Amino acid sequence: MSPHVCINGAKLSAFESITPKKHGVVSIGSNLSLACGRVHEAMGDAADMFAVALAAHAKGPVVWIGRSVDVGSLAPTGFQEFFDPTRVVTVTCVSRQETLWATEQALRLPGTACVVAELGDGPDLQTSRRLQIAAEEGGALGVILISGRAQTSAAQTRWQCDPITDEDAFWGWRLVKNKNGKVGFWRVGWAPDDGRNDHAQGFVLVAAAAAA
Amino acid sequence: MRRVLSLWLPQLPLDRRVRIGDLRTEGPFAIIAEMKNAWRLTHVNRPARRAGIAEGLSLPDARAICPDLFVEPADEIRDAALLRALWRWADCLSPRVSIDPPDGLLLDISGCAHLFGGEGAMGRHTRQRLGDMQIHTRIGIADTKGAARALSRFGKTGVAIAAPGKTNEALKDLPIAALDAEGDIASELARTGLKTIGQLYSVKSSELARRFGLDLTRALGCTLGQEPDPLTPAAADPIYAARMTLPEPIGLKSQIEDVLKRLAASVCGRLEAEQKGARRYLLTVRCVDTGDHVLSVGFARPCAEPASVLQQFSHSLDQLKIEFGADWFRLVAEHVEPIHPKQSTLGKEAQEEDNTARIISMLGNRLGFDHVRKFQPCDAHLPEREFESMEAVDKEFDPVWKQAPRKRPLRLYKTPERLRALEPGRPPKQFEWRRKSYATKSAKGPERLTAEWWREGDMKTRDYWAVQTANGARLWLLTYPGEAEPNWYVAGKFP
Repeated sequence: MSPHVCINGAKLSAFESITPKKHGVVSIGSNLSLACGRVHEAMGDAADMFAVALAAHAKGPVVWIGRSVDVGSLAPTGFQEFFDPTRVVTVTCVSRQETLWATEQALRLPGTACVVAELGDGPDLQTSRRLQIAAEEGGALGVILISGRAQTSAAQTRWQCDPITDEDAFWGWRLVKNKNGKVGFWRVGWAPDDGRNDHAQGFVLVAAAAAA
Repeated sequence: MRRVLSLWLPQLPLDRRVRIGDLRTEGPFAIIAEMKNAWRLTHVNRPARRAGIAEGLSLPDARAICPDLFVEPADEIRDAALLRALWRWADCLSPRVSIDPPDGLLLDISGCAHLFGGEGAMGRHTRQRLGDMQIHTRIGIADTKGAARALSRFGKTGVAIAAPGKTNEALKDLPIAALDAEGDIASELARTGLKTIGQLYSVKSSELARRFGLDLTRALGCTLGQEPDPLTPAAADPIYAARMTLPEPIGLKSQIEDVLKRLAASVCGRLEAEQKGARRYLLTVRCVDTGDHVLSVGFARPCAEPASVLQQFSHSLDQLKIEFGADWFRLVAEHVEPIHPKQSTLGKEAQEEDNTARIISMLGNRLGFDHVRKFQPCDAHLPEREFESMEAVDKEFDPVWKQAPRKRPLRLYKTPERLRALEPGRPPKQFEWRRKSYATKSAKGPERLTAEWWREGDMKTRDYWAVQTANGARLWLLTYPGEAEPNWYVAGKFP
């Protein structure tokens, strides 16, 4: 399997000319990087996988926050091939408000690598701005999984993630909104490594990219 | 000259029943314990003794002798708690007190007795005060621990005293059993005609050691003061607390935070000096009108940093309603544990652990520690039992995650969700789930799993199918084989 194919040669990146680069980036393959210290939104059937791929590439504790119906169904046996489940701390909240509070706190704490929040509808401008500021303070990568409707928000990027039906373990990530930079489409595959010495790092490959 | 007072509480379990107001103790009453597969009487009260019952009888025998005997099983934990309470009380007699389990106390009374008017007066005073508390006591006072114990247990009077330097004479007539020797030496010695301690004085100790072992000579030596046998008083666990009383009540949050900062600096400073940390801090705020308010915070790992304590309290201080001000504060550290300092700049893992602990404390204090969890692998073959979600606080997680034999979904619904089949098939060609319709494109399966017969509950064999639907979603369907009309469920969702 070839690691990645740039269809029109353009090297795309989901952060491009972002001012606060001080927190670094999380790179998946060589031509897809997301800015840390920012909040990203993900929608669609494979949004979970998007979060898992980012968590696998971030270094440090992963906090997964949501209501108990959402977080309670998260199965470590499903993502243990991508990264070590001991890194995950799950937080169950009783309401959307509590979820948002916990997300903000987790983002603000220095040392958190990745914060995944499961919200029904997307955050509005004010809420997402708060989260964005918190992320900038702490330097963690924030991922908001939206299962309902998205709203106008201050998030850095928004992704539409869906499984690709004709191949197993392949996903299409469409960047539908990017605050600074271009949008695009990535085909991401999963090549299980036989060695298995390094837990998951670099397992998720960018298979194809195309500027929209 | 060292003087030791031995306080023996021969009827501690009975006294405890009397003290809690058990009316059965007025008649024949005994405490029983299971010994060698039989219930035997360990403590007997006076009416029972009058009825002809003695310690060591088996319960059926005792019942036969005295049909209206009441008994109660021994409760060693509560007895030990009472003994510990008495140990603290004995502070009023001497500063050096040690517990002599299961039913005694040893007090070093060197230089204390004259405060009570002499040793005899001190013994009588002690007996009377304990008698007021409905506790029977016997007291022995001597130069050594062993001699004092022997006198308290085998002395002729309630307060038996061996004058300083006169231990040998005082113990002369006591039986061999009074020596604190291990094993059944008394009966062995009795066979040779030696019955009292006094008879041992004339035997050469090398002879005794040769025939009866070093234990006996050591016990004898300790009792008579020829070998050292020091008293080691147990100290109470230190309490890490600080309090502050103010001349005028305060009410502003910033002022209270200043107070807390000083208290935390004092408590944490002491903890840190001893390389300890606490998992829990309690802050008592006494308001002038509404009384005490107790706030508490917990930590995922022992903590001794004033800044963290302050930060964790800030939310609960926000919630606190102080109307007319508070003028008394007390901060106490609980669940104190040693801290093993780690060099966080070198070890990346240590730092990561620190970060995780900080997240857990931060979120747990507000949301409740049962809401902050981590995964733990389990050795089981059913998909929902392959892992467990456990409270993250206060646990060591060092699990090794084994790869599941087959691919498992990322989302696993603990109670599988029933789907509505629109077009039958195996698995259904078209179905509806969560108000969306799906068409099966391809399916892999079945993966057949049998139930765990050694457990209660769902005993049905399961068939799992991994289904790729036409509109993208990859679902994990479940059915129970062998049913006339198969029902299908969604058990999980692959990414």
